[in-house]
Amino acid sequence: MTTLPVHDAIDVEATPRAISRKATGADKVFVAAIRTVGSVVLVITGGVGVFLGWQALPTLRHYGWSFFTESSWQPEADVLGIAAVLSGTVLVALIAMSIAFPLALITALYISEYAPAGMRSLLVSLVDLMAAVPSIIWGLWGSYLIMEHAAGLAMWLDRNLGFIPLFQVDDADPNAAVPVLSRYSFSMFVAGIAVAMMVLPMACAVMRQVFSQTPQGEKEAALALGATRWGMVRSVVLPFGRGGIIGGAMLGLGRALGETIAVLLILSPSFEVKPRVLEIGGNTVSALIAGRFGDASSSQLSALLAAGFVLFLITLVVNTVAATIVNRSRSGAGTDA
Amino acid sequence: MIRPVRVVSRVLVAVALAMSFLVGSSTSAHATVYAQIEGTGSTWSELILQQWIADVDANGMKVVYTGGGSTKGRKDFSQDSTDFAISEIPYQGTDERGQSDSSNGREFAYLPIVAGGTAFTYQLKIGNKLVRNLRLSGETLAKIFTNKITDWSDPAIAKDNNGRKFPSLPIIPVVRSDGSGTTAQFTTWMDHQYPGTWRPYFGQSGLTSYYPKKGDRMVSQAGSDQVMNTIKGFAGNGMIGYVEYSYPINADYPVVKVENKAGYFVEPTQYNTAVALTKAKINQDKKSQLYLTQILDGVYNNADPRSYPISSYSYMILPTGADDSRMSTAKRQTLADFMYYSLCSGQTKAGAYGYSSLPLNLVQAGFQQLAKLKKADPKVNLTNRDVRSCNNPTFDGKNLNRNVLADKAPQPAACDKSGAGPCGTPTGTNKPSTDDDTTGGGGKATGGTAGGTPGGGATGAADAGGAAAGTDAPPAAVDPETGAVAAAGGTTTATSSDEIYADPTELAASRTSDDRTFGWLAVLELLALVLVPGLYVVSMRRRRPQIGPRP
Repeated sequence: MTTLPVHDAIDVEATPRAISRKATGADKVFVAAIRTVGSVVLVITGGVGVFLGWQALPTLRHYGWSFFTESSWQPEADVLGIAAVLSGTVLVALIAMSIAFPLALITALYISEYAPAGMRSLLVSLVDLMAAVPSIIWGLWGSYLIMEHAAGLAMWLDRNLGFIPLFQVDDADPNAAVPVLSRYSFSMFVAGIAVAMMVLPMACAVMRQVFSQTPQGEKEAALALGATRWGMVRSVVLPFGRGGIIGGAMLGLGRALGETIAVLLILSPSFEVKPRVLEIGGNTVSALIAGRFGDASSSQLSALLAAGFVLFLITLVVNTVAATIVNRSRSGAGTDA
Repeated sequence: MIRPVRVVSRVLVAVALAMSFLVGSSTSAHATVYAQIEGTGSTWSELILQQWIADVDANGMKVVYTGGGSTKGRKDFSQDSTDFAISEIPYQGTDERGQSDSSNGREFAYLPIVAGGTAFTYQLKIGNKLVRNLRLSGETLAKIFTNKITDWSDPAIAKDNNGRKFPSLPIIPVVRSDGSGTTAQFTTWMDHQYPGTWRPYFGQSGLTSYYPKKGDRMVSQAGSDQVMNTIKGFAGNGMIGYVEYSYPINADYPVVKVENKAGYFVEPTQYNTAVALTKAKINQDKKSQLYLTQILDGVYNNADPRSYPISSYSYMILPTGADDSRMSTAKRQTLADFMYYSLCSGQTKAGAYGYSSLPLNLVQAGFQQLAKLKKADPKVNLTNRDVRSCNNPTFDGKNLNRNVLADKAPQPAACDKSGAGPCGTPTGTNKPSTDDDTTGGGGKATGGTAGGTPGGGATGAADAGGAAAGTDAPPAAVDPETGAVAAAGGTTTATSSDEIYADPTELAASRTSDDRTFGWLAVLELLALVLVPGLYVVSMRRRRPQIGPRP
């Protein structure tokens, strides 16, 4: 027979204990420390923005709207604008994404769904290794190894698809006996290839992570209903990971927009707004800053920082949108779509 | 009374010596203390400078030099971020962009370090073979770099090459994208010699450090090495660019022989550069901030048949201020000893690297500039570091103004004269093209003058034995530093047999109008291929009810 200890009824308080959500002791210190560290990130990012904006102010005030519409960059003639560099930045990034996106998507799918378990970790670390290669190496790779072959491809594209403005190359005859290869080199296309290699691991990592979060039950359900593996991927993994795919691509885009050294090594700088990506010449905001920073005077520096400010804003927007999409997808809301 | 003083002094000396030995052994700072010095600037003279830096490294001097262009060098110096700068042109006060180009109040002096020629290197292939003996007049060069001559088959180029024609291939000028002393030297020359071509293109007069890139064709690259890499790259066919002579030598690439006032086409070897620079006007006013800077009008118009017109000196910008915040005794000592090496022994290396050594008077003036380091800081030790202890075979001890290299310079080959030749000897080999038979070892070239038939058919005369002697001469035959002939063999070069000729014919593989027409035709056909069967089926279906019985 067991007896329960009998408490004295008088000792029990009638009122419930007040629940306090206030942290005490070590918790309090921890929360404060974490909050400080977290806010430091915001302060730094905000500081960069404020600094760039402050430095850009004289330029923006001086050139007004023409800063965004003018394509040439001639500080000596007091004429400068970022139309050309901005369009170049977007074009290079888009080329990079159009190469990197399918590659990253397929790589991520293979690693998370198809690769044998033993190889998986090896593949993951190999892709991560790609991210660890410094961008100057990619630039050298692009300009010394790839450019020659890319120029041949560009010439082929011009020869066969030259009627499309995108693949057109002015001032060059792809059928000439001695083709002028230089018209097809040092182009945004080649720069885009190098940037794609830098973007790929980042986009791939995000996509892979989201794919690996697909609920196992749903995958098994699809298989149990008779779906092939590809059918399962198509009906479960891809819809679930849609947010991750878009988010990863956009994070990659953010990086592609800001890529500098590889672009600087490959592109022959020129300032014109043109869709002809296979043609020699072009420039991006970051390559412009890196190329002109060394011997810029104070007013030129302000103009360069203004260009940097615009790039900063664009990258910030792209990354924020990407992060929002990625976060939303993690809730699993994508499954019903 | 004298003796005790002597004894005391001897004892003192002995003690001092012992002390110094003690200190020396304990801190190993017995002789001189060095500190690392850093500089930026010209890529024009970077190759020889890096060689000097490697040489003095063994003596404990750590010098770090990064190129980046003369403009960057001057700017970094003015912002106190470097200890010295290398620049081809002095501070401009206000540069051509209206920006301030001054040292920002930092005290400095110009110190000439090396001479050289701005060479035009190119890649031009005929039948997949590199043309190595192109010659161009100054006017043609100016027109090429101002987009007036845009094709290698241009008659002006054929005329410069005595009727020899080149294939119809677009000329792609490669220019510098950064602020560059090489660009400044080149545009100074164009502005002086061909203002009618240069000024309308530039839109104003004078020199510029930033080449105004115009038109679709031009390619711009940062730094001499990048320009060189682009030209010798896979896409380089048809390109021409300007760099110091050392770059093509290093890359084993040809350079353009440029026509001088005497009507000879010459290559910027150390001899031709030295001859040209005998006419350089050096600012001799020691009070002037521009002391020792160059005025090159005389060089451009030097009537000596051996002179290379676009020759110039390169300068170090030396911090001379006593209160210079970056400098210390150790740094000044490093700078002084580094320059002592460069101005003396270092000059003997210039020729082999594609530069030209300084004449003695400039070296001497350079030492006077170095003495300003001691003036700024008396602790700097300059003992035994002057022109007398210079071990440099190119100096003439008796006549300071004489440049031994210029005296030794061989006359150009007869086939290098305008209206004769062209010589078949390859350029970019750092060997002068000459008929002078200085050794008697090599055969006297005779083919040169005979090759003067227009149309370039005169290869027969070029089969002379002299060619083999010239091109296959053992590399040790000429001492590149002194120009003295070391052994038999011969400096003789002559027309060689492997000249390559092109007959420019344009094959119209396709015309752009054709492309468009056939392109649209292809699109139409594709559309037809896709649509016609379907349309046919649809039309058949429509027709069927008409044929069949109506419901």
